[in-house]
Amino acid sequence: MGVFHKIVRWAQRKSPWILHFNTGACNACDIEIIAALTPRFDLERLGVQLKGTPRHCDIMACSGPVTKQVKDRLVRIYEQVPEPKIVVAIGSCATSGGVFNGLYNVEGGIDQAIPVTAYIPGCPASPQAIIDGFVKLIKSLEEKK
Amino acid sequence: MSDERVVTVPIGPQHPALKEPESFMVDLRGEKIDAVRMRFGYNHRGIEKGCEQRSYTQDLYLVERVCGICSYAHSTAFVQAVEEIAGLELPRRAVYIRTIIAELERVHSHLLWLGVAGHEIGFDTLLMYTWRDREQVMILLARLTGNRVNYGMNTLGGVRRDIAPEMIPEILKVVDSLEERVKYYINLATSEQTVIQRLSGVGKLTREDALSLGTVGPTARASGVDRDTRRDDPYLAYRDVSFKVITDTHCDVYGRTVVRLGELLESFSIVRQLIKNIPDGPIAIKAPRRIPEGEAVSRYEAPRGEDVHYVRGNGSEKPERVKVRAPTLANTQSVSKMLEDGYLADLPIVIAAIDPCFSCTDRMVSLRENDGNEGRTMSWEEVSRYGVEWHKARGIDFSRVRIPGGAGA
Amino acid sequence: MSDVQAIAAELQSRFSLPEGALKVQRATRLWIETDKELFPQVFDHLVKGMGFSILCTITGLDLGADLGFIYHLAKDGGIMANLKTRCPKDGSIKTITPWFPGADIYERELVDLLGARIEGLGPGVRYPLPEDWPEGDHPLLKDWKPKTAPTLEKGTQANE
Repeated sequence: MGVFHKIVRWAQRKSPWILHFNTGACNACDIEIIAALTPRFDLERLGVQLKGTPRHCDIMACSGPVTKQVKDRLVRIYEQVPEPKIVVAIGSCATSGGVFNGLYNVEGGIDQAIPVTAYIPGCPASPQAIIDGFVKLIKSLEEKK
Repeated sequence: MSDERVVTVPIGPQHPALKEPESFMVDLRGEKIDAVRMRFGYNHRGIEKGCEQRSYTQDLYLVERVCGICSYAHSTAFVQAVEEIAGLELPRRAVYIRTIIAELERVHSHLLWLGVAGHEIGFDTLLMYTWRDREQVMILLARLTGNRVNYGMNTLGGVRRDIAPEMIPEILKVVDSLEERVKYYINLATSEQTVIQRLSGVGKLTREDALSLGTVGPTARASGVDRDTRRDDPYLAYRDVSFKVITDTHCDVYGRTVVRLGELLESFSIVRQLIKNIPDGPIAIKAPRRIPEGEAVSRYEAPRGEDVHYVRGNGSEKPERVKVRAPTLANTQSVSKMLEDGYLADLPIVIAAIDPCFSCTDRMVSLRENDGNEGRTMSWEEVSRYGVEWHKARGIDFSRVRIPGGAGA
Repeated sequence: MSDVQAIAAELQSRFSLPEGALKVQRATRLWIETDKELFPQVFDHLVKGMGFSILCTITGLDLGADLGFIYHLAKDGGIMANLKTRCPKDGSIKTITPWFPGADIYERELVDLLGARIEGLGPGVRYPLPEDWPEGDHPLLKDWKPKTAPTLEKGTQANE
């Protein structure tokens, strides 16, 4: 059975719940994340679902360069997420601060606040890149088991 | 007095036990909202300062990312101000191309809004259909500019990419196709009782309040305020096209829906006119690196309303000052008025109806009993669901609503 | 005489503005410079007497010893009157919220980012800086240096 099918089966067994957290982004990546769930891209066929609560989330998907206003909360939410904690930084800002790197109210990327498992670059990260990133992530988790 | 609770709606994270700085503090009287106080700054990154430390060209890319939905509005408003200071006269073709992109951005933004509004009222089918339709214009913009968002199309003195002749029929095809879809949505909005009932009388803002609070864009036009920067203070190629400014007198969320749908049709008409009359010629002129001393104010009708950019040059490669007033900031002033005397169940759609540019995802409502005990906390999702269930109990159920002509389109 | 020129002429005759205080940049752009004392009267006349009922925003500037303020006003029909004034950094200006209730958010921005003092601005939540931003720290000032060092340890890659 092909790798893709294995992933789909794993995802459907596991059905990862994603917590989406915006740390002060321009919204482009957030919109592309939602677009990834709509018919043309349909991330849900991988079993991925957006849920609202940290307590039950499998994957924390973060966008944005981490504004000072939000960094404490980002850390505290991270602490609420049960082990194993998986954090995905979506977009160039989440990866490194993007164009906002160096601005006075910006920490400069998710990994300035919490450990990151996977980075999906792009400005914004396109839905195709997001799907590709999640497939790679799920595959790497599958391989670890 | 016995049933008083204070509801806090901060923009922020999810954890119930965290003491959050409130973003929306709502006083409830039973199920009704008494008053709202607000706080923002969540997305403050320090862009204006950053602009002073970067060259004008670098600033084009920074300013574009003020907002990821109306990025072209910010990029163009900025570059227009700089071009005015420098006294640059752009080739007409460049101006037409900018205008076409500007209107295509309005199309994607309004369709996005329609889907989000659908989601907030429990009509997820609408979200799926409108965002599927929206993909047509996203693909088109990616083909024209190289990116789905943050197009990088502007340069000082013009645009960076031309519209190839073979793209012209593509643009017209998308416009024709989306026009049909929008007509279905207009039909849905004007004849489907569930939609009309759900959105009518909600988030009321009188014309007087809209004027005194400085409301802009479709939100203001839905309260009968006849203002549109494209007509009132024309920029880009808007003097060369004819279009209607869509206003409505419902003064509520229903009106805001109707206005945006009407504007979509006007955008399609504008794009057709621009394509028909687009002049030949260069797409950019050479611009100086150093911008002279001087200042300019640029006004641009972004999808959410008037976007204002002030730029001051000091003769160097970097601006002395850049000031951005995005439309959402003007409209936040009116949100408390709209929520006053409304139901908690309507809070999500009322806020969504100004098409706010802050993140729509992480919002929390916390209910505190008046006797000082920590009450229940609700996430934004929970308030949305509360609203959907509350209205379902009153006969508003979208599960039976069919989108006309939607199947397999 | 065009509309904007007529407006400029009326302001000139009414307030005897000094040489160079008025500038017609183009058909919809007028720039007016006044001193702090004359500002309230010019402002009031523009808003109440000449129909500039739209406040687009207020721009604050660091002019060295002074802070500069530009009130970007507009009227239906598209003409903008950009009214400029200034005051020393340790001085203050008056709030314009009596004319524009929605202006308080623009004034709070001036207070937060430039340290402007605005008389009559009611109590309210600061904007746009975070709650724990240090007192007296105004990032838009030209000589501002970041006093706030990053408070977090750099995160580590989870796979290491």
